[in-house]
Amino acid sequence: MSRFTTLRELVAHFVGQRKFFFIPLLLVLLLAGGLLLLTGGLSYVAPFVYSLF
Amino acid sequence: MAAVLGVSAHYHDAAAALVVDGRIVAAQQEERLSRVKNDPSLPQLAIDACLALGGIDAAALDRVVFYENPYRKLERVLVGSLAAFPRGAGFFRRALRSQLGDKLWVLDQLAAHLGVPRERVGFVDHHQSHAASALDCAPFDDAVALTVDGVGEDESTALWAPADDGPRRIASIGYPHSLGLFYAAITAYLGFRVNEGEYKVMGLAAFGRPRFREAMEQLLRVSSDGSFRLRTSAFGDHLRADRAYGDELLAMLGPAREPECPWDLQSDDDRRFADVAASAQLALEEVMLALARAAHEQSGARHLALAGGVALNCCANARVLAEGPFERVFVQPAAGDAGGALGAALVGARQAGDSIQGVFDPALGIAADAGRALAVARHLGLQAERVDDPEREAAERLAEGAIVAWVRGRSEWGPRALGQRSLLSRADDVTLRDVLNRRIKGREPFRPFAPVVRDAHASALFEGAPSDMTPTMTTVCRVKGDSLPGCTHVDGTARVQTVAGGGALDGLLQAMERQGQRALLNTSLNAAGEPLVAHVTDALDFFVRRKPDVLYVDDVRITR
Repeated sequence: MSRFTTLRELVAHFVGQRKFFFIPLLLVLLLAGGLLLLTGGLSYVAPFVYSLF
Repeated sequence: MAAVLGVSAHYHDAAAALVVDGRIVAAQQEERLSRVKNDPSLPQLAIDACLALGGIDAAALDRVVFYENPYRKLERVLVGSLAAFPRGAGFFRRALRSQLGDKLWVLDQLAAHLGVPRERVGFVDHHQSHAASALDCAPFDDAVALTVDGVGEDESTALWAPADDGPRRIASIGYPHSLGLFYAAITAYLGFRVNEGEYKVMGLAAFGRPRFREAMEQLLRVSSDGSFRLRTSAFGDHLRADRAYGDELLAMLGPAREPECPWDLQSDDDRRFADVAASAQLALEEVMLALARAAHEQSGARHLALAGGVALNCCANARVLAEGPFERVFVQPAAGDAGGALGAALVGARQAGDSIQGVFDPALGIAADAGRALAVARHLGLQAERVDDPEREAAERLAEGAIVAWVRGRSEWGPRALGQRSLLSRADDVTLRDVLNRRIKGREPFRPFAPVVRDAHASALFEGAPSDMTPTMTTVCRVKGDSLPGCTHVDGTARVQTVAGGGALDGLLQAMERQGQRALLNTSLNAAGEPLVAHVTDALDFFVRRKPDVLYVDDVRITR
C-alpha cells in the first residue's frame, strides 16, 4: 500500500508545479507499472516493458 | 523533542545519521560496514548501527528523512532526456529503469526496512541537506552556506541562509552547469574513477603547470556576478555515466589517458596529464573564489560554511579562506553525498521543533571493541595483550620508525582518518612515506600524506594553522621549513590535521613530543580502493594482509 502514497506524491508533484506535459509520459509509465503489478511480471508482458525501458 | 533518522542512498556514498532531541547521536557511512567502496545501496547496516548507537528502536523514530526529493530528481531525468532526444535515448532507458525500478520507491523501502508507517518517512531537498549539515555543524554563527556538487535534484550550486526550520535558499545555479560535473569530466579524462578519483586529480595538480588555463576558461566561464556556465558541448556525453566528456574537450586537451595505466611523471604524456590536472584545479579554485565573493556580497555574513562534494577539494578551500572575503570558513567533513544524511536528519529535527545543540565532534560511528579484537587476534595466532599506557608505548615504537595501525573509540565521520582509524608513522622520514605508499597502501606514487599536530605547535609548523578546517583535514596549509618531508606535498603544502586537548590522539602526540617529534604522519587505515576500516575485525584483516608493524585497538596491542 505504501507505493500508492509514493504514486500520489508523484502525481501531486507534477500537478502542483503545473507541468501537465509530463502526464502522458507518466501515464504510459504507470500503466506499464500497473500491468506488471497485476500480472506479477508475467513473461508475455516483458516485450512491452523492454521496448519501453 | 524528536528522534530523527536521516538517510542518503541510491547514488553514491550511502549513509545514515541519527539526531535525538536536537543532538547528533550517530552518523555512519554504509561503505565502512559493507566493505563496498562508495556503496550506494540502501544503507541498512548503517541505519541499524545508528539505531544501536542511539539505543532506540526503529518504532521510536518520529521521522525518517531522505536527503533528496525523488520526484524532482525523476523530473530532472525526464527533462534532461527529452531535451537531448534522440541522442539521449539510450540514457533515457537506463535512467528510467534505475529511477522507476528502485530510486523512486526509496521512501517505501525505508518504511519497509524500518517497519515504520510510510507517513513518517519524508524528504528534504538535496542541497538543503548539504547546507544544514554545514550550518548546524559549524563552530560559528553569522554564517551563510555554499553548497557545491555535481547535481542535486536539478541544481548544482546554491547559497543558503540559516533559518529555524532549516536553511533557506538565497540563490542557485542549475544543472548541467556544475563544478562537480566539470571536475568529474577531468577525473574521467585522466583515467580515474568518477566519484572516487577526484582527490587524485587534486594531488596530481601539484606536479603540473597550468598551461591549459585558456582552454579551461573556455570550458568554464565565470560571470561578473560570480555565477558560472559550462561549455556543455564539450561535455556532450554527460548523458553517459561512464564518460563525462565529449570530443570537443578531447580536441582542446588532447587524447584522454587510459585508465589503470601505471604513472610515470617523467614521461611527456603523463606530464601533459599533470598539466591538465593543474589547469583544471586552478579553474575550479578561481570559480570557488568567485562564488565565495558573490556569497559574501549577497548575504553580508561574516562566516562561510561549505558542503557538497566539491567542498572536499581542500586546496580550493584553502584559497577561499586565504583570498576570499569571509573571516572564517568551515567544511562539514562528510561534505559529499554521505553528509546529506546528517543534514536531512538535522532539517527533520528543526522541522519537528527542536533546536540543534552540542559541539560537533566527527567521532560519530561505531565503537572499537577491544575485547573482541583481543579474542579474534589470539584466535588468528597473533600476539595480543592489554597494555597500561598505549600512547606512551606507541610513541616509542613510532620514534623507532614503526608503522602503527591505530584504532581508537568511535569511528570518524567523513572520508578522512582523524585518529580513530589511522595508520601512523614519523612525519620526518621519506623512506617511511614510500613504504606506506608502495607496500602498505599500494597507492600511486604522487599521492601525498597528511601530518597531524597538536594545536599548540600548529602555527610553528604551518602557515594559517590552526583554523576551523584543520581539525577535520578539509584544507591545506603551507609547511614552514623542511622538518616534515614525509608529509609535505611537492608544492610545499600539507593537508594538516590539528588536534585540541583531551583525546587519545592528543595523548599520543604529547608522548611523541617527549620523543622529540612534534608531528606524525596520519593516513587512513585502508589500502588503495578499499573503504576505511570501521570494525576491529576489518582492522585485523588489514593488519594480517598489509603488515604494518603493530596494531593498537584502544588498550590492546597486537603484533605478529
